[in-house]
Amino acid sequence: MADILIKHLVKRFGKVEAVSDVSLRIADGEFVVLLGPSGCGKSTILRAVAGLEDADSGEIVIGGRLVNFIDPVKRNVAMVFQNYALYPHMTVFKNIAFPLQIAKRPKDEIDRAVRRAAGILALEELLHRYPGQLSGGQRQRVALARAIVREPDAFLMDEPLSNLDAQLRIQTRLELIQLHARLGITTMYVTHDQVEAMTMGHRIAVMSNGVLQQIGTPQDVYRRPANVFVATFLGAPPMNLIDGALESADGAWRVRAQDADVLLSTDVLSTPELEQEIAGHSDVKLGLRPEHIRIGEAGQGGIPGRVRFLEPVGSDLYLTVEAAGTTVQVRTDPDSPAQPDDAVTLHFDPWRVHVFGADGHNLRRDAPPVGSETPLVQAAS
Amino acid sequence: MAAPGAALDDFGGAEAHADYAGAARRNRGFRAGKSVASYLVLVLFALIAVGPFVYLLSPSLRQSYELFTYPPQWIPHTVYWGNFGRVLHETSYYRWGLNTFIFATAVTLITLVLDTLAGYAFARLRFAGRTALFALVISTLMIPTAAIIAPLYIMISRLPAWTHAGVNTYLGLILPMVCSPLGVFMMRQFISTLPEGLVEAARLDGASEFQIFRRIVLPLIKPAIVVLGIFTFMMQWVNFLWPLVITTTDSMKTLTVGVASLQGQFVTDWGVISAAAVMTMAPVIVVFLIFQRWFVQASMAGALKQ
Repeated sequence: MADILIKHLVKRFGKVEAVSDVSLRIADGEFVVLLGPSGCGKSTILRAVAGLEDADSGEIVIGGRLVNFIDPVKRNVAMVFQNYALYPHMTVFKNIAFPLQIAKRPKDEIDRAVRRAAGILALEELLHRYPGQLSGGQRQRVALARAIVREPDAFLMDEPLSNLDAQLRIQTRLELIQLHARLGITTMYVTHDQVEAMTMGHRIAVMSNGVLQQIGTPQDVYRRPANVFVATFLGAPPMNLIDGALESADGAWRVRAQDADVLLSTDVLSTPELEQEIAGHSDVKLGLRPEHIRIGEAGQGGIPGRVRFLEPVGSDLYLTVEAAGTTVQVRTDPDSPAQPDDAVTLHFDPWRVHVFGADGHNLRRDAPPVGSETPLVQAAS
Repeated sequence: MAAPGAALDDFGGAEAHADYAGAARRNRGFRAGKSVASYLVLVLFALIAVGPFVYLLSPSLRQSYELFTYPPQWIPHTVYWGNFGRVLHETSYYRWGLNTFIFATAVTLITLVLDTLAGYAFARLRFAGRTALFALVISTLMIPTAAIIAPLYIMISRLPAWTHAGVNTYLGLILPMVCSPLGVFMMRQFISTLPEGLVEAARLDGASEFQIFRRIVLPLIKPAIVVLGIFTFMMQWVNFLWPLVITTTDSMKTLTVGVASLQGQFVTDWGVISAAAVMTMAPVIVVFLIFQRWFVQASMAGALKQ
């Protein structure tokens, strides 16, 4: 058991900076998800922690010990790979036993440890099989068993569910949550799937272009995104963005967009920063989650628009509405009477609105600065 | 819109089916013609490939005086085994066989060790000059053996006595032949196809570089090792040029050199030479037949991936 501390990590591949000055602290027993699109540097961070990549600068500290120059195995972390990386010529038993055999543990101890790990992951019946004879989900469990058998200080998981089909992914996700609850081992988990991130992580670290955009609890990053990237990366459908201009209006703020005029109180937007912001330029983006928009009939005030598409997904109905000079996605009741080409109006509560400055920062009072750490949440174990 | 029950009839009925049957028949006929043609071509190639072996086998089973009858006789009237007896009793055939076995086996084993190690290094280790060094290894493929025979002979013949390598020694015979660039290339390509994750997983599991090589990589490239092994063994079994140069005494000759030496300056017993050549080739053919399925496996290297 150990905490993981990443200080100002930089990693370059040639001229490309894959990881730019990322700092991150993962508490003992915590489950942190690194979330971001492909190529954002999240896997590189994981591999640097594992010791498969050398950091160009910055420090990696595991359990209070600087590990930059320590061999991967001596860091005592276990990694689960996307393609499982099982040894195809060994049985399940030998795959799980491999790290212990390399460590030259006594035979009976290896046997006991393998059976214990196999028991935790329900693999007892499969110990004599070869990886080629297993299903994707079973292979994934073998990979997990091999990771837990040597009782590592931390788990590093690199998109472990992405090779599974949808059904199995949901099931295995639950198993991983249970496994973590049972073992309480510090876990770094890399994924590009926001649902995995939201459901599994104690905290989510959102990455883009090698830069840590925001880290916080799933609710935090969803409700108080630090910038446009986080706001639009999390959420399906993503947050709607409407171009507008910000101006001050008698002790409040007003955003003017095409066909829209939103009055915001100073409780919502942060004032001192904004005064400066507006002096330069007043172009902003108005951000609205699809679930925070209500549909009204034409002529009821609000932003006028026209329904373009309907996407029923069973539990909800997604409407694509042309309004305010752009297309706006609205999540609504599946029984909504809306039809394509209907004229409608869009309504929302002003305090739900996010306003993003020209550089993408969220100007809301409660939004955290980009890349900042919210206070550590004690892991529930 | 038709009722669901009637829908099936809308697809055309009996005429359409008859049309398809006719087309299928014509297609079958065309395919049969095509396969006859391709078999004829294959038979032709088979004859070209097998011809020399039959040409060699035939005189070995006949008396010498029968060899030059006209018209030429391909299949002997009576099978005569005496040529084989004469090879075994009147020449140093056993000794040559032993020499060849030692030579080919040693070269094969050493080549396998060196080529797999070099292949692993070129495929998986990052070191300065890796690309240049590999290009150098590959470029040696372009130098014909004949071009380096003389310098090789001079090098080996001048080795100091304590090396126990020189003219008419096993080491002198073996050393210049070990480690083939083609084998290094083949091993590198094969090891490159193994998923990188396997090596990384093993490294995280605590395996040293050599343990990764020995316990993960070697078992997974077994088909390639077998192929390279057989290939090398067969090449060295019939190697002629180097053994001819480096051996001068009868007791150090290999089979190919020994058989060639049976050709006299004035009189040549073609029956005996043919019998010796047949016996020399037989083990190679048997080895190939036993292991040929490995050749197929090696060509499906990608199947190793998960």
